[in-house]
Amino acid sequence: MTRYIARRLLLAVPTLAGIVVLVFLLLHLAPGSPVSAMGGESGRRVSGRAAQEMRRLYGLDRPLTERFVKWVGRVARFDLGESFVDRRPVSERLREALPYTLELNGLALLLTLAIAIPLGVEAGGHPESAFDRISGAALFALYSTPSFWAALLLQTLFSVKWKWLPLYGVASDPAPSGLAGLADRLAHLILPVACLTYGSLAFYARLVRAGVAEARTADYVLAARARGLSRREALWKHAFRNALLPLITLLGLVLPGLLSGSVIIERIFAWPGLGRLYFDSILSRDYPVVLALSLVGAVATLAVTLAADVAYAVADPRVRDGTGP
Amino acid sequence: MKAFLGRLPGSGRAALAVVLGLWIVAAFAPAASRTASAIRLEARLLPPSASHPFGTDDLGRDLLARVVAATPISLAIGLTAAAVSLLVGFAVGGVSGYLGGLVDLLLSRVVEVVLCFPVLFLLLALAAFLPPSPSAVVLAIGLTTWPGDARYARAEILKAKSLDYTRAARAAGASTPRILVRHLLPNVLAPLIVSAAFGVAWAILAEAALSFLGVGLPPPASSWGGILSAAPAYIEEAWWMALFPGLALFLTVSAYNLLAEGLRRASTERGGYR
Repeated sequence: MTRYIARRLLLAVPTLAGIVVLVFLLLHLAPGSPVSAMGGESGRRVSGRAAQEMRRLYGLDRPLTERFVKWVGRVARFDLGESFVDRRPVSERLREALPYTLELNGLALLLTLAIAIPLGVEAGGHPESAFDRISGAALFALYSTPSFWAALLLQTLFSVKWKWLPLYGVASDPAPSGLAGLADRLAHLILPVACLTYGSLAFYARLVRAGVAEARTADYVLAARARGLSRREALWKHAFRNALLPLITLLGLVLPGLLSGSVIIERIFAWPGLGRLYFDSILSRDYPVVLALSLVGAVATLAVTLAADVAYAVADPRVRDGTGP
Repeated sequence: MKAFLGRLPGSGRAALAVVLGLWIVAAFAPAASRTASAIRLEARLLPPSASHPFGTDDLGRDLLARVVAATPISLAIGLTAAAVSLLVGFAVGGVSGYLGGLVDLLLSRVVEVVLCFPVLFLLLALAAFLPPSPSAVVLAIGLTTWPGDARYARAEILKAKSLDYTRAARAAGASTPRILVRHLLPNVLAPLIVSAAFGVAWAILAEAALSFLGVGLPPPASSWGGILSAAPAYIEEAWWMALFPGLALFLTVSAYNLLAEGLRRASTERGGYR
């Protein structure tokens, strides 16, 4: 197992290097600069001298390789630079937005799993049953529904027509205090969390269903039934637990999916999280923030993927002893 | 091909009918485009009625005409972007799986690098930084989604490579290109078609998301996502601006997804590809 883990870690080194290079190239080879974006936004042209002055101020007049080396050196010391927009440290801006995204996506992920796992086990335990077919069709429809469209429809119904829930934002202004304040914040969470949840539901439910449907007829499940376990117990304690194993390796892909979903949903619901920050920074060509967010997102994904692979090796004896796939 | 379609489940056939129907609607786009661009401020934000079945938008344009006029753009961008993704993905994945060794190791790292990024992060960066044009949108979508296709193609090639007839062909002295084209390609054709159908659904959705966020197609071109982008500003007074363009999008995406799912089943039943 040590060899397996060592090999996996070693392979992550070129991937990490690739991430760093890709992030840098993507933005610095792009046409247009924050200087032109600033001039464009204020509606007046920046004079040649002023533009030159700004380029010098932001270090944009240096050659690409020099900027790359400098940037890597700073990133290695966890210095992500300053935002072009407000001159504040990028890390500070990320820290401010992170809790909002965690709150939203954490709740959405919990809710997704809480619905997808029982749904998948039940459907996989009885393949081709009425429940399996109906839940499958419903999940398929949800999977094909664009999140921004769903968000608009939910806003139309729940906020505009029935006035049950706030249209957007994190809290009312002024925010009520105490218990009423908590209720107010929860009310603001409902629609964005619902939008983030329904889309990923199908993905997880189908994975669980496939795993359980396959394990259902395996010898160890039949043996469990023969020992007198109920159908339900055999499904949950044996089939599901085995179906869970391959799911571990997919954990790494959860993170980029969540961040992607956050961009759209946070924009529609005016949620001041990382997705919104990324989108705003793209529009204002705030390179340091875009670089930092892409880098942090990709490196975090790589780290989770690695951790998942290691966990899989620890959990699966076939990988652990090097006797299996 | 005919036998292949015969094995398509009922839902897949219905989806195929919808997909064909959408292309027929697309044929009416030139006829609708004049009405679609006719600005009549006195008729702005009218709810659905007999004369405007989908209502009118904030500039008094007929929404039905706009949705019809946008059909070929949305479909074409979806198809071409999926083609780019498939081409790059199957080329990289195919070479990686066939050659193996160091090449495979390197190409697999490249795939892994791209997969680490949130798709929408890359998509937004590319779409916003490339000069705005339809081909930029196609490139942005194609260049961010190919790693999925590459992984898929690699697995399929690895599987086909170890089959007896490939090894027999090699033993008989067939050249590498001949093995690739004559023996491996026919075997990955079914997975390729399935991938393509799922890819089109995804690409249409991606284009709509970009245009909705305002970094997609530059005006005057307008796709369903572009029409939807005006809806949030009028959410309090004109629900039809959100409902109908989104409905067209939903119908198209689910039709392509359903078709892909049907094709996948049909190809699996034949001999267990997946």
